[in-house]
Amino acid sequence: MHLFIQKKWPILIGLAPALIVYILFAIVPIVISFYYSSMEWDGFTEMKFIGIGNFLEIFSDKIFWQSLKNNLYVVAASIFGQVPIALFFALLLYRKLRGGKFFRTVGFMPVVISTVIISLIWGMMYNSRRGLFNQLLTATGLDEWTQNWLGDPKWAMISVCITIVWQFVGLYLIIFLAALQNIPREIFDAAEIDGASGFKQTIYITLPMIWETIIVAVILCISGSLRTFDLIYVMTSGGPGHATEVMAMYMFDQTFSSTRYGYGSAISLCIFFFSLALIYVSNLILRRKTV
Amino acid sequence: MPEQVYHNILVQNKTAKVKKNAKKTLIYLLLSIYAVVNIYPIIWMVLNSFKSNIDFAKNPFSFPKEWLVQNYQTAWETARLDVYFLNSLIVSTIAVIFTVFFGALASYFLARISFKWGKYIYSFFIFGMLIPIHATLVPLFLQMKYLGLLNTHVGLVLPYIAFNLPITVFILTSFMKSFPTDIEESAIMDGCGVFRIFWSIILPMTRPALATVIILNFINNWNEFSFALVLINEESLKTLPLGLANFAGQFTTNYGAQMAGLTLAIIPTIIIYMILEEYLVKGMTAGAVKG
Repeated sequence: MHLFIQKKWPILIGLAPALIVYILFAIVPIVISFYYSSMEWDGFTEMKFIGIGNFLEIFSDKIFWQSLKNNLYVVAASIFGQVPIALFFALLLYRKLRGGKFFRTVGFMPVVISTVIISLIWGMMYNSRRGLFNQLLTATGLDEWTQNWLGDPKWAMISVCITIVWQFVGLYLIIFLAALQNIPREIFDAAEIDGASGFKQTIYITLPMIWETIIVAVILCISGSLRTFDLIYVMTSGGPGHATEVMAMYMFDQTFSSTRYGYGSAISLCIFFFSLALIYVSNLILRRKTV
Repeated sequence: MPEQVYHNILVQNKTAKVKKNAKKTLIYLLLSIYAVVNIYPIIWMVLNSFKSNIDFAKNPFSFPKEWLVQNYQTAWETARLDVYFLNSLIVSTIAVIFTVFFGALASYFLARISFKWGKYIYSFFIFGMLIPIHATLVPLFLQMKYLGLLNTHVGLVLPYIAFNLPITVFILTSFMKSFPTDIEESAIMDGCGVFRIFWSIILPMTRPALATVIILNFINNWNEFSFALVLINEESLKTLPLGLANFAGQFTTNYGAQMAGLTLAIIPTIIIYMILEEYLVKGMTAGAVKG
């Protein structure tokens, strides 16, 4: 299958450009954040080494824990919102259906649009006076249900999560569709002869057959949710108060608004390890179920 | 008697047919709701982008009383969209060229040539897909400051290349691995060097995967926000998402123009999506779907 070549230098030349850029601008930043995370530094005055001081501070920082909680909230909303909704519509769509292509195209569209633009559109839809939702509620006579969707701490996180779910359902829809279409038809034919109903087929055949894909989707949900930043930055900037603060947002604030580079780096590392750990653990839990 | 049986079968068939039709109607109904939920925010925005403030406040759901094209002119002039468009185009295009070229070259050696460290280098690249980019924002900012690359397009292009290389290498390597070995054998017999084989045999054969990777990279860069936010400060260098993020503030009183600006910003993405949907979908789901 593979080719052997005697000389080693062509390999080096071939890999070098990609490796150099990748190491310098993706790996080195992670490595140097270890260094900065042990410093107290405002960017102008002398750096001061404080060891694990920043991490100790993070540990007792209420706003950090609040942001972590909100991150987990987004993770939960994604896993229990995006995955079931996407799976449901994928199950409706995967058999030959006239117009199926149209629904797929429309379904995937939000995924390709810039998060900034989506946040701005949804920000206007949530607007308390002229937003779509309140207009809709007023028009249908449900005035008392109108809310200050993004301004009320009680509703802000829910509103943000709804937008996140809306934006990415299409991605999982397409992923599930691809998996469903790979299941051999004969399995269903056999089940039908045995008298299994459509519902039973779904539970006992379809879902187990695409379990691997569901795991992948959940892991994508987790890593995607932990990256939530653009949307929060544009829609609420973490407010009101710190109601929608997420880790990346808090890190950004601490670093660039409060110019605490050391502390910001420490939070960066927490994000890094936290997301690796979460992916690892979820992988472990979900895989065990298959056995 | 036989007639009775025949009649019964007919009735049974009929009820089965009615049931099937009802089921189909229900499926279409559900899918249509999904489609409307997906697409209505955009339609709402486009329709209201043609309205005056008064028209918008009075009739939020109907077609504009008078189609105000002037909103678009206002948006274009106030928001410097031309500058942002151009910057996004420059940054995205340059980053795509380098990512795909470096990525293809590296993938070729990783997929087609056996050498000791190949597997590890491949895994090292793939690991990049797990790095949460926000964990690198602070160190990358400091790194760029140190290199004097803050507020330059180069400073933005470099991390774009670095963070798009993992998925690029992933897609291209798996594609190149599928070619049979004898392709290169005759070329080697003829005395072709490895780079010659890459350029005139492997690269042309990889065209479908290259298309996927190019589109995917382009959209990723076109929509990217976090790096731009941290690394670019100067108005004349801002990319589209960055320019738009502060956009709402400029139009507090003119909703029509705000929506007109967003409509303009969204058009290129929608056009690209409509034309190249297949490649884009393939690229964006490549991490989860094999093949």
